[in-house]
Amino acid sequence: MIDLSVDIAGVRLANPLVTASGTCGYADEYADLLDLRQLGGFFTKSITQKPRQGNEYPRIVETRAGMLNAIGLANIGLEAFVRDKAPLLRQLGIPVFVNVAGVQIEDYVAVAGRLDELDAVRGIELNISCPNVKEGGIQFGTDATQVHKIVSAVRAVCRKNVLVVKLSPNVTDITVTARAAVEAGADALSMINTFTAMAIDIESRRPILANRTGGLSGPAIRPIAVYMVHRVYTQVAKAAGVPIIGMGGIQFAHDAIEFLLAGATGLAVGTALFIDPGGVLGIRDGIADYLRRHGHTSIKEIIGTLQT
Amino acid sequence: MAVPTTKSKGIFTAGVLANRPACADHFALLLRLAEFPPTQPGQFVNIRCGRVEPILKPTEFEWRPGSLPPPHQPETVGRQPLLRRPISLAGRRDLDDGVELEIIHRVVGVGTAWLAGLKAGEPVDILGPLGQGFRPVDRPLAAVVGGGSGIPPMLYLAEALAAAGKKVVAFAGARSGASLPLTIGAHDLPSQAGWPTLCTAEFAARGAATVITTDDGSLGFPGLVSQALQGWIERSSVAQGELAVYACGPNPMMQAVAGLCLPAGIPCQLSLERHMACGLGACQGCVCKVKDDSPQGWKYKLVCKDGPVFDVGEICW
Ligand SMILES: Cc1cc2nc3c(=O)[nH]c(=O)nc-3n(C[C@H](O)[C@H](O)[C@H](O)COP(=O)(O)OP(=O)(O)OC[C@H]3O[C@@H](n4cnc5c(N)ncnc54)[C@H](O)[C@@H]3O)c2cc1C
Ligand SMILES: Cc1cc2nc3c(=O)[nH]c(=O)nc-3n(C[C@H](O)[C@H](O)[C@H](O)COP(=O)(O)O)c2cc1C
Ligand code: FES
Repeated sequence: MIDLSVDIAGVRLANPLVTASGTCGYADEYADLLDLRQLGGFFTKSITQKPRQGNEYPRIVETRAGMLNAIGLANIGLEAFVRDKAPLLRQLGIPVFVNVAGVQIEDYVAVAGRLDELDAVRGIELNISCPNVKEGGIQFGTDATQVHKIVSAVRAVCRKNVLVVKLSPNVTDITVTARAAVEAGADALSMINTFTAMAIDIESRRPILANRTGGLSGPAIRPIAVYMVHRVYTQVAKAAGVPIIGMGGIQFAHDAIEFLLAGATGLAVGTALFIDPGGVLGIRDGIADYLRRHGHTSIKEIIGTLQT
Repeated sequence: MAVPTTKSKGIFTAGVLANRPACADHFALLLRLAEFPPTQPGQFVNIRCGRVEPILKPTEFEWRPGSLPPPHQPETVGRQPLLRRPISLAGRRDLDDGVELEIIHRVVGVGTAWLAGLKAGEPVDILGPLGQGFRPVDRPLAAVVGGGSGIPPMLYLAEALAAAGKKVVAFAGARSGASLPLTIGAHDLPSQAGWPTLCTAEFAARGAATVITTDDGSLGFPGLVSQALQGWIERSSVAQGELAVYACGPNPMMQAVAGLCLPAGIPCQLSLERHMACGLGACQGCVCKVKDDSPQGWKYKLVCKDGPVFDVGEICW
């Protein structure tokens, strides 16, 4: 028997695979296509205090090995989530993490505080890194001082819930913001969100996305994501004992194993879910194959074992 | 009948029965599946335009310390489009031991070019059926209006409407005769005056006369399909309260059809197109504005899940 279970700050995941926020809605959308109970955990679409309708169309452009999205955090809002979605998620039977977004610190604190009262929720993932929202909201995720401030504030209202902080890759040195999050009390780090990017319609000479810029995800970003996980693991997370949930272009078991070796404990699959929802279970089985082939009995034996 | 599937949608591996050019730029692909959930005209499937075989598992090669990954590793196999491609169903046939699905598509890029290259016997990975199809209206006469690659779903719809006892008239528009994905001259020739004749094999087989229009005037009525529809409504003795209109095509065409039907009180459903990532209602990428009673007067709906077919009165252009 191969033990695939991992521990995210006291929350046991039967295997490291989770959904990346924003790519699996609130779970009901995939009902016929993927047995979510087979996953280690579920991460919801970002929730904000008030419902948001999001950006104008076009919101999506496919690129050669990835895609740009500028959804603009379209979501049903905290109240509707608590009323309509939380009861369903509770029945999932796997740990549920709610991704929380906002414009001001008070928004985050209000949402995180309310979610701490729900049995259905095991943790929150703080989205301080969405590149697609402009409203005078500060880009919390790119400034270490702001990261420290917002994580500390939310930390204070997470009594029961595990606090995962999702890092932005749109920074010069991601270990700086990672350290700020850990020092402010993050229980885990998830990395990475999408890269701010642009696609241009060369005939009209305009950006294709209505929002002009969008976030790049998919296989194109994986090598950068792997490198960032490696740096944060070796320079911040390992010493602090803070687990990393790695993501960015994971599509096959091979990709997932790269992240594990680089130091990730959890693995989130996003863009690849759109293409092959059931493929995430193939990744799980592929990891087990790999462990068997290399003579391991537990996945924990390979996390962060990159030879340099 | 095929064994009914309990799920409303799923991922299926279809086999190619036939793949033929339907005109200068469209291909008609006939797929065979062991089973497929129930479908409605107007629904679509999301096709993975790439090889179906899974990538070789790591266990299938001998790894030695220090050796480089073999060339079939994931880094080098990604030469196919990343996302699936949404394509409407153009027809469905239920057999004793399976299901046949037809799709007809215009080759415009890497995904549709891949589809055009498929050979009989090859596997195709399809996810579906997706979306909400047309909802037949209680009117004895139906005009099905298709522009370019919006024509194919109208074939499936015409068949269903005819089976439900409606009289169907088809309007099919293209840039030129060579781009029309229909077989011309079955019984009659297309009318240059825009009168319905039994001029296309596909619609004639479904009992429907067709008006062909081309932008360049190379076949049928020279002009827009919406103009031909308008002319037909005005000149024929269609009684108020008898007609319903169903349309799929480029936005300007559908706006013109909407402009015709809305003021006249003709029930009308339109099938919209949006760039999609998931097709499942999860990514929120495929939004369109529909009217509601909020202060701003509209809200977003998802074309992949709430659509692609919408009522003409709902849509905010
Ligand atoms: C619900 C629905 C039903 C459709 N039914 C048909 C049909 O029956 N026959 C047909 O010929 N075409 C149909 N289309 C359009 C078809 O999806 C596109 O032509 C196809 O995705 C182009 O892919 P490509 O790789 O060849 O082109 P590329 O231009 O290389 O595609 C690049 C990206 O843009 C997207 N894209 C490009 N054009 C469109 C478009 N018109 N609509 C949505 N996404 C697009 C692709 O999916 C891809 O992500 C339908 C679209 C939708 C949304
Ligand atoms: C369509 C789409 C919507 C997303 N929405 C969110 C979101 O609401 N909140 C968030 O924290 N991340 C969001 N993300 C980012 C993903 O969770 C993930 O960090 C990123 O896509 C990288 O993983 P991938 O390459 O596997 O998709 C979104 C990504 C996509 C493609
Ligand atoms: S394509 Fe993802 S929600 Fe419609």
